[in-house]
Amino acid sequence: MFVPFDSTMLLAILPEILLVVLAGVVLALDAAWQPEKRRWLGWLTVVGLAVAFILTATVSQPESEPRLLFGGMLRDDWLSFAFRLVFLFGAAITTLFAMDHEALGRKGEFYVLLLVSTLGMNLMASAGDLIMLYLAIETTSIPLYILAGFITTDDKSTEAGFKYLLFGAMTSAVMLYGFSLLYGFSGETNLYLLAGKLGELPMPALLGSLLLVLVGFSFKVSAVPFHFWAPDVYEGAPTPVAGFLSTASKAAGFAVLMRVLLAAFPAALPSWQGLIALLAVVTMTVGNLLALAQTNVKRLLAFSSIAHAGYILIGVVAVNAAGMNLGMASVVFYLIAYLLTNLAAFGAVATFGRVSGSDEMDAYKGLSRRSPALALVMLVAFLSLSGMPPFGGFIAKVFVFAAAVEANWIWLAVIGVLNSIIGLYYYLTLLKYVYLYRQDNLEEEQKPLPISRPYALALVLLVIGIILLGTAFNPWFEWSRTAAASLF
Amino acid sequence: MDFGALLLTLVTFAPLLGAAALLLVKPEQKNALRWVALITALVTFGISLGLLAIFNPADAIRIDLPWLSVAGWNVHYHLALDGLSILLVLLTTLLTPLAILSTWTSVEDRVRQFMAFFLMLETGMLGVFLAQDLFLFYIFWEFTLVPMYFLIGIWGGERRIYAAVKFFLYTMAGSVLMLVALLWLGTQYNTFSLPELIAQRANIPPQAQTWLFLAFALAFAIKVPMWPLHTWLPDAHVEAPTAGSVILAGVLLKMGTYGFLRFNLTLFPQASWEFSPWMALLAIIGILYGALVSYAQTDAKKLVAYSSVSHLGFVMLGLFALNQQGIQGALLQMINHGLSTGALFLMVGMLYERRHTRALDAFGGLWKVIPVFGTLLLIVSLSSVGLPGLNGFIGEFTILLGAAGSDALGNAWNQIVTALGVSFIPMRSAGGLWFAGFAALGVIFAAAYLLQMYQKICLGALKAENQNLKDLSWREIITLLPLLVLIFWIGLYPKPFIDLIAPAINQMLGY
Amino acid sequence: MIPVEYYLGLSAIMFVIGALGVMVRRNPLVIFMSVELMLNSANLVFVAFAHAYQVLDGQVFVFFVMTVAAAEVAIGLALIVSIFRSKHNINADTVNELKG
Repeated sequence: MFVPFDSTMLLAILPEILLVVLAGVVLALDAAWQPEKRRWLGWLTVVGLAVAFILTATVSQPESEPRLLFGGMLRDDWLSFAFRLVFLFGAAITTLFAMDHEALGRKGEFYVLLLVSTLGMNLMASAGDLIMLYLAIETTSIPLYILAGFITTDDKSTEAGFKYLLFGAMTSAVMLYGFSLLYGFSGETNLYLLAGKLGELPMPALLGSLLLVLVGFSFKVSAVPFHFWAPDVYEGAPTPVAGFLSTASKAAGFAVLMRVLLAAFPAALPSWQGLIALLAVVTMTVGNLLALAQTNVKRLLAFSSIAHAGYILIGVVAVNAAGMNLGMASVVFYLIAYLLTNLAAFGAVATFGRVSGSDEMDAYKGLSRRSPALALVMLVAFLSLSGMPPFGGFIAKVFVFAAAVEANWIWLAVIGVLNSIIGLYYYLTLLKYVYLYRQDNLEEEQKPLPISRPYALALVLLVIGIILLGTAFNPWFEWSRTAAASLF
Repeated sequence: MDFGALLLTLVTFAPLLGAAALLLVKPEQKNALRWVALITALVTFGISLGLLAIFNPADAIRIDLPWLSVAGWNVHYHLALDGLSILLVLLTTLLTPLAILSTWTSVEDRVRQFMAFFLMLETGMLGVFLAQDLFLFYIFWEFTLVPMYFLIGIWGGERRIYAAVKFFLYTMAGSVLMLVALLWLGTQYNTFSLPELIAQRANIPPQAQTWLFLAFALAFAIKVPMWPLHTWLPDAHVEAPTAGSVILAGVLLKMGTYGFLRFNLTLFPQASWEFSPWMALLAIIGILYGALVSYAQTDAKKLVAYSSVSHLGFVMLGLFALNQQGIQGALLQMINHGLSTGALFLMVGMLYERRHTRALDAFGGLWKVIPVFGTLLLIVSLSSVGLPGLNGFIGEFTILLGAAGSDALGNAWNQIVTALGVSFIPMRSAGGLWFAGFAALGVIFAAAYLLQMYQKICLGALKAENQNLKDLSWREIITLLPLLVLIFWIGLYPKPFIDLIAPAINQMLGY
Repeated sequence: MIPVEYYLGLSAIMFVIGALGVMVRRNPLVIFMSVELMLNSANLVFVAFAHAYQVLDGQVFVFFVMTVAAAEVAIGLALIVSIFRSKHNINADTVNELKG
């Protein structure tokens, strides 16, 4: 399993190398260029990420058998490969959304931080060792703290960054304590060697350390009861950053969650299944119920993102030890669909917020008359979030529920579908504002709503992706399955 | 891919193509938009006639291509046109252009979106009737919700938003449990294909069958709607624009009854047998309740809406008689209700366009000023009442015959009678007759409320403000004409229609 | 030699004190100190077990944790400064622009 070092190993970390190089170039050019030229930094980042995406997809495909590289620090398998592509894509889209944002677009350091955070996510998805895992999580989180508080002139933004930091630091400390206990009980830091030693451990000790570790992961995926930060941070953070937080960062959290649960805790499978099932029920129910009362679109999306974490956890529960069922594959598929969908939703909110300056639902009245195109994007994104065909979100939900049904967690699937009705209600509420209500002052509806080129490009890409995932889902699902199968 | 299979795909997605074509027309060119939509709908109707021409009642036209097959998942793109679906497909493709024609002057706002949603709705409905794969069926089933939501929500009446949300949530709430049920079937038997599942239905454990039956039944019962799940219907109907009501009553409700026929009866025969008296009981309550509430209405549209509850009760009774006559009558009655109620909604819409009110007491004596309207309304009302010689009679009569001779219902009745210890012989021998008898009361009530409506609108004293009403225009007459022709045709000579559906029903019962 | 259980006990106490501090105290600086305490309790476990097992992994881990902790505090202080600039107060209760 362990592979001794040779230079071809570098190919396996090509995406990370490219990210570091790109970050360096952006940082250097930021210093060298005049302020008025700096909008090009955004395009440079997008093109760089696109190149990294293509190179990763073509050159650094993993070998058929999973390998542990660099002394076991990294695991090279299809799961990490799939997630890296997802992160690179998410970062590129986020860059497009940020480019014309007043406070972000011309700041080189914004792009650098985004790239570093993406680097951290890549490492999270491929970490095979507790040390690497901890460092990767922090490499992801620390830039995100800054990004959330990026607009120092805006009290809400700094407060968002501050709250995110406080919650993040505390939960990661709890998680680290869990790591230290795992190390203490086994004497190993490698995830794949841990499992062998942990099997002999008494169940309370095993579950205790698992609980501590789960605290950190629950924070990352914003599962109840570690979700408090999400609404505040999403509302306060710049919208493109909030989109990135709710999609890529959440996906990274799930990648780690899946890997750690399956690699290090197979011995406790029935116990953690029950635990995660409980977490899933509470998370989606609380998220959905609290979302009902929201009047701010970004807060609504925050609670919806909590609820979605709950749905995804259903897929995690539905795994079986043999690993050949739908469970993990449905999680990967869901994360891909959710990334596209939620980025589209946040992108639309960012586009609208940039012109109107408001994220309140009232401001969205009559949007379908003011800008039919943007309204259509919102329609696609929110229907996909609510799980209506023929969009990606529908297929994703169906797969997660099917996985639960297949693994005989039928009651969990039933709670899931009932929750999705609550979800439908508040997504429809927003669409009501967009499509059915009119502005009190009808002249408001005549005002133009420009959609600049980067926004248009990103939104079109995302909408096409959502529809593709919902109709031609075969290759995507095959891909998710390959990725999930390499976990075992 | 043979010709029939190609036509199946075409008929399903032609409306969607038309909706895409609408995007090429400027939103200001309202008439061009209307023509594009109308021509699309007519072409779709033409294709469905083509399908009818090559249709052989003994055999289905089928297209079956693999769509997704991994990890024991086998989702197919599987459409089929057989005796159970052909009349409903034709009804859908016929009502859509007529409904579009009826919007010519009544929809002025956002014509492009209206037409696009309307055509999308048609694709969804056709997909529901044609899909033979449970997964595909569910996709189409849900796909119909969004366009209808917007049709009610944007172009509807005063309380449109409330009605639209209620419609959406009710239907969705019913169908999610069906989703769990069909996922269970799909993962348990590794296929979503309806014929394959029917072949395996003997393997479904009895207890699971009960639960599955209930999960499917909830989804369909809300759609039908069966009493007591009908409360969304009056709201949706009253608030929807005329064309929306026509499609809602004419086709969307049939999705529920069709679902019972296509899935519940064929997949879970044992559970269907067990539940049949209960379903029949709910159906009869629906018939009587719908009729009584209709009688009390003062709003013409609401009256017609509640009459749907009553009429669809007949359909449900026929289905759960579980014999050839009952199901045949039910299927015919689905078509009849689509034609008659569709026509009634169109005519109420025409009145509304002229007077901007639907209150019955705003009218009276209209026969004198608009005789053509009066004549047609009389025919349509009588057809809805079930007058012999018109279509409604054929359907309702067959259903009553079916219920009277039903083994399932008779058996249940006997059990109840035995349990009560009654030894009065005539009650034992003809249990189904009791069900039929109560249902027959519904026919009498129907005569009462529909003729009362007719009387209030067309007879009596003419009000001053109605003196100058214009009679039907040529466009309006053309809109109604196909429906009238079919009303007489089915009423006088139903054999061709029965020939189309009978083999499939016999085959279904003989599995 | 002190048995490893003693270290474990001490670290648990440190961890609980830290966790309570985070939850109870309202001054962000004190909260940061409490987080440090939690991190150091983990460090103690690492070092103690690394010594007990006579493997270096745990010691290495501690170095990384210290680096990360420094980075976290640096960011935290920067954010506190920027909040202080607008509010002239850093009590966690007054940072309440957002509803949570």
